[in-house]
Amino acid sequence: MSTLTLSELSKVYPGSNERSVDDVSMAIKDGEIIALLGSSGCGKTSTLRMVAGFESVTSGTIRLGETVINRLKPSERNVAMAFEGYALYPPLKVRDNIAFSLLRGRTAKAEIDKRVNAVSDMLELGPMLEKFPPNLSGGQQQRVSLARALVRDASAYLLDEPMSQLEPQLRALLRARIKDHMTLHRMTTVIVTHDQTEAIALSDRVAVMDNGVLQQFGTPDDLRERPANLFVASFIGEPPMNLYTAEVADSELVVLDERGQPAFRIPCQPGEFAGRRRLSIGIRPHRVHLGDANGADDASGAAAGSAVLRGEVLSNHWLGDHSHAGIGIGGCFLIAVADRHVDARVGSQAVLRIPRGAIHIFDEETGLAVAHGLRS
Amino acid sequence: MAYLSIETISKAYRKNEVIRDLSFEVERGEFLVVFGPSGAGKTVLLRLIAGMVLPDRGRVVLDGADITRDAPDQRDIGMAFQNFALYPHMTAYENIASPLRSRGMARAELDSRVHGAANLLRIDHVISHLPKALSNGQKQRTALARALVGEPSVLLLDDPLRNVDAKVRYEMRLELPRLLRERDTTVIYVTQDYKEAMALGDRIAVLGDGAFTQIGSPEMIYNRPANSRIARLFGDPPINLLDAQREDSNALRIASNSVALPTRTSNSAVSSCVVGIRPEDVAVSLEAVPGAVPVEIDAVTPLNDRQVMLLRADDGTEIFASRPQADQLAQHDGAEQRGRRRAWASLDLDRAHFFDKSSGGRLLEPSPRMAEAAR
Repeated sequence: MSTLTLSELSKVYPGSNERSVDDVSMAIKDGEIIALLGSSGCGKTSTLRMVAGFESVTSGTIRLGETVINRLKPSERNVAMAFEGYALYPPLKVRDNIAFSLLRGRTAKAEIDKRVNAVSDMLELGPMLEKFPPNLSGGQQQRVSLARALVRDASAYLLDEPMSQLEPQLRALLRARIKDHMTLHRMTTVIVTHDQTEAIALSDRVAVMDNGVLQQFGTPDDLRERPANLFVASFIGEPPMNLYTAEVADSELVVLDERGQPAFRIPCQPGEFAGRRRLSIGIRPHRVHLGDANGADDASGAAAGSAVLRGEVLSNHWLGDHSHAGIGIGGCFLIAVADRHVDARVGSQAVLRIPRGAIHIFDEETGLAVAHGLRS
Repeated sequence: MAYLSIETISKAYRKNEVIRDLSFEVERGEFLVVFGPSGAGKTVLLRLIAGMVLPDRGRVVLDGADITRDAPDQRDIGMAFQNFALYPHMTAYENIASPLRSRGMARAELDSRVHGAANLLRIDHVISHLPKALSNGQKQRTALARALVGEPSVLLLDDPLRNVDAKVRYEMRLELPRLLRERDTTVIYVTQDYKEAMALGDRIAVLGDGAFTQIGSPEMIYNRPANSRIARLFGDPPINLLDAQREDSNALRIASNSVALPTRTSNSAVSSCVVGIRPEDVAVSLEAVPGAVPVEIDAVTPLNDRQVMLLRADDGTEIFASRPQADQLAQHDGAEQRGRRRAWASLDLDRAHFFDKSSGGRLLEPSPRMAEAAR
């Protein structure tokens, strides 16, 4: 295993004058699992392909350990890869597909069998080992591709959308087993995904990309609690962060609805946002406490350093281990998540308590975070 | 009598019976979700109801009238599909008005209907925009306004939120039931997403192999699944299904440990069975707890502000536990530390389901406190 360091890495494709990857720098620790997260076209796959050696580097350097690998052939880099599209060898049985890279090396036959069996047990591929790839479903082929990468001894592991096709009932189990495996073997791993739940579930740190630019590289907690900008704030979390535009008044923020009409007000300290006229504000659904209008929440909330809002319950969905409530406040919608069954009846009034520390403030024009939390 | 009833309907394609002797009833104004894996026959069922496909056997009865052989446009049934596509060259207004124009509706009424639908969906301020000037959410709401403007008494929706971004999906989950209830529209809604099914459905019909395996409220399906297969379809991570043997009158043997049975089950016939216990009903402690199963925490995989843990008992049995992030094992106590770690899992069998080992069928009624929620 090894560290993996990208320094000022950029990619411009021939015939384009835009940077598909724009000056990306990140230092991945030895044994660390990271995700490159973003929508299609954000530059995450181009970044991974440069690390793998499938794309040339326009500028910048890639180091694996102390070695600059920019100009090495893919096969000389000692990285293991699982790519979208699987690229399995159709005439080889699943067992031989998985063992392929080991067969070329000097690994003893018994050792190869042992490792192939272990990785296929982990990925629930046991019953498929003697089959041929064309006879497998998409999800199964994807698991074979993953097994083929994980079975190797490499300095780093590069996985492109490794679980996009997996059967939903297997996804949670395989995510956990793979994370355990990678942690146990201290595998330096880069996972490319568009799925923020997958990135958060698997990674020590997540690099969020948009438009070729690295937006934020941090732990799942960083991204949730301290999003660097509006893009990260709206990309991370399910349900996504409640986001609004607000006008700054002397000692309050006036939150506007979609039509630009005042919907509700949040008190702030006089002069807290002096010099600004408008802001974006964000509230994570999981940080909203929902009480009914008759409860004592109102006063205690204000005392406990929370903003207190009143609204109408528009929906209340129980989803088994948590609930989502939709609240209308003036012309705005707000989604609140509770980790239990909530008794709020649709049409009833609700009192919402939002800890002042959980109200995120962003610059409306640049989208950059201004503050994570209002002053108390 | 039910508003819409489907009576022993069947449809085969090349001898493959996609829908087999299916019967169900929907009340006026009800929101019924048809849930099932891909290939279960959900879309064929919608097409049969819409009249786009004729059944081999059986009847479709709407408000007392047999409409089985009626053409689609003679039925008072609207349908919208996954791709809620808009006409790009028409304004939002014209898009919404398009189904009414083809009916030759008088101008004043058309105008009032379009504005009514746009108001309801909060797009009245962008109604003169072309689709390219609308946000994704506004596009989706425009398409929905178009589906609603004809005021069909039955609306069939085939996975309409499948390809939309998360923000829009949540907005629509929030708004759809309200809008449709206001109009007393009867809805049959197809999805593969169990959370969407639970959020939207007054009842959920679980479709498997061409027939419904259970129909009931979301609480009923989640708290009293008819069999272990259905139990596994609802919940993320899925329910733990653990092999169990009767040890004595007070305990089951699970994962090579003795686990106490709640008193309600001690005299019943449960012997060798599969115990279904949801991850949120498994409590994890980093200190030894009497009666708990010793485990290793293999991995912590956070999921939407819940802390999900994969536990492994000493005999290799894997067990999922989940708890709200706010209650997570504190960082300093090491649960977030990388790598495996010793812990104890308490299985609350009072909240467990007992299934037959070979058929997967339910063996016992759920405990009173769960039955309460499932009513």
